[in-house]
Amino acid sequence: MNRAATLPVRILWNAFFWTYERATWQYDLMVIAILAFVWLTPPDWLNDPMASGQGPVGWLLSMID
Amino acid sequence: MTLTGLIGRICMFPLQLIISTCVALKIHPNILTFVGLLINVAAACALGAGRFILAGFIMGVANIFDFIDGKVAHELNAVSVFGGFWDSVIDRFSDIALFVGLIYLYSRLGRTDYVMITALAMMFAIMTSYTRARAESLITKCKVGFMERPERIVLFLIGAFTNRMAAVMWVIGVLSVFTVADRIIYTYRELRAVPDKVVA
Repeated sequence: MNRAATLPVRILWNAFFWTYERATWQYDLMVIAILAFVWLTPPDWLNDPMASGQGPVGWLLSMID
Repeated sequence: MTLTGLIGRICMFPLQLIISTCVALKIHPNILTFVGLLINVAAACALGAGRFILAGFIMGVANIFDFIDGKVAHELNAVSVFGGFWDSVIDRFSDIALFVGLIYLYSRLGRTDYVMITALAMMFAIMTSYTRARAESLITKCKVGFMERPERIVLFLIGAFTNRMAAVMWVIGVLSVFTVADRIIYTYRELRAVPDKVVA
């Protein structure tokens, strides 16, 4: 990756072109991001065939509204 | 120590007990591998029936077998080239069985969209293994990309126990595409570094 590339571009590239080992802080960060997506995304948004409801994100959005 | 490293260490305690038991009983590691497949097929049936919690428990047991076979082989001094090959092949069958269970469920529910998403996730999960196997016949090592088998297994367990299998299929699908792409790019770069090497 070009050193001149900006930080966000480098972060995205490193997330896409994954070369980190398990049990590194980068791995932990990726795991947290995945779990956040799996658990926080409302099943209705994904048209989940087996689950329904708005989930935590939907609940928070309804609190704001 | 990282969070995932700590979880790994905690999980090793009961597993070590099971490994010691298998070693004491001198159970051949190839048998353990095959038993793991049979249990995964049972998990696939539970997934197909839409019984995710039950499937989660069965997958948990199956994956204990998947995990311990290599360790038992080491402790019994039964490590063999065929054992490694057998393990890889059976792992692919186990992977496919779980995806087929979900495809059956979604097709029974008339959800063509998730049949396609799961089928694509299965295709790229298999390609993840294939690209690495093929790459490592050309270059020394091709261990890049995030979504490998242990990650898939943990995601299947999370999806089953928390009823979030749809989100899990999206994650496995998208990250498997990236992993396959990573391995193709990595292999291309490595082979470009040795231009004189001609491979049939």
